[in-house]
This record gives sequence, structure tokens and C-alpha cells, in this order.
Amino acid sequence: MHGQAVVAGVGESTYYVRGRSPDSEFQLTCTAIRRAVEDAGLDLAKVDGFVSYMDQRNDPLRLAHALGIDELRWSNTCWAGGGNNAAAAVQLADAAVSGGYADTVVAFRGLAQGQFGRFGRPRGLSNAAQGDMGWKAPYGLLSPAQECALHTARYMHDHGISQEALCDISLACYANAQLNPRALRNGRPLTREEYHESRWIVEPFHLFDCCPENDGAAAIVVTTPERAKDLKKSGVPILACAQGLGPKYGFHAFQEKYLSGMFYGNVGEAIWQRAGVKPSDVDVLQLYENFTGPVMIALAEMGFCEPGEVEAFVANGALEGPNAKLPFNTSGGNIGEAYIHGFELVNEAVRQVRGDSTCQAKDVELSLVVGGPGYAPGSAVLFNRA
Amino acid sequence: MARHFGDDWLIPALDPFNESWFTAGKITVQSCDDCGVFQHPPEDVCGSCQGTALSFVECSGEGTVESVAVVHHPVHPGLSDHCPYAIVVVSLDGAPGANAIGNILNRDPGDISIGQRVRAVFEPAKDAKTGADLLIPQWEVV
Ligand SMILES: [Zn+2]
Repeated sequence: MHGQAVVAGVGESTYYVRGRSPDSEFQLTCTAIRRAVEDAGLDLAKVDGFVSYMDQRNDPLRLAHALGIDELRWSNTCWAGGGNNAAAAVQLADAAVSGGYADTVVAFRGLAQGQFGRFGRPRGLSNAAQGDMGWKAPYGLLSPAQECALHTARYMHDHGISQEALCDISLACYANAQLNPRALRNGRPLTREEYHESRWIVEPFHLFDCCPENDGAAAIVVTTPERAKDLKKSGVPILACAQGLGPKYGFHAFQEKYLSGMFYGNVGEAIWQRAGVKPSDVDVLQLYENFTGPVMIALAEMGFCEPGEVEAFVANGALEGPNAKLPFNTSGGNIGEAYIHGFELVNEAVRQVRGDSTCQAKDVELSLVVGGPGYAPGSAVLFNRA
Repeated sequence: MARHFGDDWLIPALDPFNESWFTAGKITVQSCDDCGVFQHPPEDVCGSCQGTALSFVECSGEGTVESVAVVHHPVHPGLSDHCPYAIVVVSLDGAPGANAIGNILNRDPGDISIGQRVRAVFEPAKDAKTGADLLIPQWEVV
């Protein structure tokens, strides 16, 4: 059934620094959905499905009511925390439309941390830490940055990778954000010197290795090719999707067989096999970067290069700008555009196929977006030109 | 001996999975009675053979640093006075495949590196709510 469903439109709210949104999370989410449906030229009332991920607070029935939906026929969400499932949400929409369960499904993510508190803050911490946190909190291991740092440090040690590899990834995100008026880092370029002089958050991550926390919403509309035929813009086909479910969760991630790496290998295998293409066929890549380390690991685990070649692969501006060797996070990504838990990367991947990115790669046939940050489940979607 | 992050810092809530680790005063790892595999953290079922007969096995208390991350930005106010500090992953002698998280008590964060040999030491703590006595495993470079 691959290639059956298409993305007919993309939309987003204005993006804000965390806590600065004048609108509620629900308002931001409705705005993004409305704009995606307008972009598609579809009738809002005819949306008949909603999918999201990561404990989405914006209930599909509340959305259906507020948006004047005629009939809701599909609502679903992916399990697990983090932005891992940003691309898996698209897969759910694809499954609904390709399976004939719904005709016009919106996949989205919205968050306003001013309204609901910081997403990444340690939870469940009283005097006695429960469950998984009980193994970590007594040792001061509390944040995703710290966990990703332990994997990244070991990976760099094993494969002889220097800090410059992480720097190059961050520089690409900042450079691309300078071309994107939506990006929160637009007008705030970054130099290699500033990167190295910036404070450590947790070694090997400097401040600029970490994505900021932001508020906003992003959405896409997935529909059938028949319905998309009459629309003002041609739809972008969903060529293949993958979810990487596996045993590496929580504290298990630090065990010997998982420590030096993350969780992109099986996502890569699945997406290449389903699409019948290889990494070097990809024209433009959006890769979830909560931190730069997982990007470096994902490039190797998904087969773009060998682990020992990662530093050379990203060096000399190889990821930077529309004419890069591999155009990467062309909107600026989580680091440069806004951290909408990776869904802004999905919008950008679609724009690259349509040819209306602010950092448009040439002759895009295959556009890949990968959800992260490396803990199971990972996810990916490959879009292609119609 | 005062705890690494002070005596007021978080303790684990004891449960059947972590009680041995945090109270035994020695390094213990869950092992499958049927296939002998070690698993950490402990589980109800052996992830290798799906057996349900699982026991805690005492290890030597020595190990090797497998990764280190030096934290500079405190994400909890209780850690502000303790930054920078190092979090380490330690592989446990006698329990192949099993790694633990910990801190190193006898080295500055910048002097800790992958491959260093370490030995367990134990921080006494008390759960004020339940009255339970804890001995939290920590590490010293040998
Ligand atoms: Zn077993």
C-alpha cells in the first residue's frame, strides 16, 4: 500500500520561546491545524481523523468540536515519551488513509509550556524516586541531555570522534535557520569560536549542542491521492514509514550491548527495505536533534556513513545550506527553527518535496525525516516526488 | 560518611527489584536460574529465556568505567552546589553485560575516564518515611 496516501498541506502556529506564547496550547494547535487544511485547500469540516504522539494533551474530540468537524472516524496516538514518534504519527495517518478507515487525517504536535510547565523537567521526584528514576536520580542522572551524553561520550571514545563533529552539526542548524523567517534563531548566527566558548551543559554537550525549549504547534494533512488531485498544490506521496520498536528502553539503555549507540539501526533498515532505496539516494534529510550527539550516531546507524567516518562526513559545511553534500535540517531543525518535539521537521520534509523550503535543496526526489532522540521507539518517513 | 550530593539528596523508593542493590552493602546482580544470564535492572522475567526463576548473585564489587558525562548545568536546585559532577556507567566484574550508573567519590570530574578500574563503596542513607536503612553503591577509582 506504500505511496497510497499523500500529504496535502502543512501548517504551523507562530513559534515562541518557552513560556512566551500569548495563546493557549489548544489555540496554537487549532491554528496549526487550520493553516494546514487551508494550505491543502480542503474543507476543515471534512477532516475525519487526528493523530499525535507523546501524551498529547489536545484531545481529538475537543479539537473536532472546536474546528467544526462533521464526523471523527479515526483518532490515535503513539506510545512513549519524547519526540521519538514524530514520524510515527505520520505513519498512523498513512495507515488510516491507506487502509480506508478515514479520508483526511491531521497529524500534529502542539505544546505551550508557559501554560503547562516545562516538558523536560524531571518528574516524580520527591524524597524517594520511583521505578526507573529510582536507579538514576540518587546519582544525579535526571535529564535527557545527561542520558544522551553518556551514549555520545562512549560513541566518540569508541570511534575516535572529536568535539568538532558535534560543532559542525550545530553550525548547520544555526546557518540554515538564518534563511528561515519562522526560525527562532533567525538573526542569531553562530560561529565555531562561539560554539567552543559556550558553557557546558553536560560534557560532551555545550549549550549550542542542545535544542532550546519552545512553544508552538505544527500539523500536516494526509489524504487520498484521489482527493488530492483536485487541490491547488500537488500532494506529496508518503513512500515509506518505519517505527523502531525494540528492547532498549529506560535504564536498560545503559547496558553493555546498547551503551555505545542509540536506536536508529532498525529504523534505517526498515525504511530502506520498504522504500527500495539506499541512504545515498536521499536528497535532503531532517534528523531530530534534541542534542547533536544522537544526530552523529544516527547518521552512522542509518547507513549514511561508517561510524569512524562520521566526523569527516559532517565536516567542511557538508550539512550546511541548500547546496550541501547532504542538505540537513534545512529549516534550522529543533535547534535553529523551533523545538516542536520534531514535528516542525515533518513540515520541512514535505516542503522540500514541494520546492517551497526557505533553504531549498535542488531536484528533490527523496526527502527523509527521522524522529528521535534515539531511545526506542524511533521513527522515520520517506516522502517522494509524485 | 556524607553522601556525594549531601544527606538530603534523593533516595530510591525501595521495591522488590532494587532492594538488594540499595540495601545489601555489596554489589548484587539479578541472574537467571535457568540460563545464567545477568540482567540489570532486575525484571520479573528473564529477557533471554523468559524464565521466571531469578536470584540475586553477589559480585566482587569491582568494575570498569564504561562511560562518563560531566554535568555542569544543575537541572535540580538540590544539585546547584555540587556542579560540576560526573555520572559514570560501570560494568560489573562477575556479571557480564550488566552495567550500573554511579558517581566516583575519590576523583575530580575531569580526572575520570573510560577504562578506569573502580571498586564499590557504600553510602549510608535512611528513608525517613519508611525508616528503611539504605547502603547506596558508589565507586572509587582503584
Ligand atoms: Zn534465562
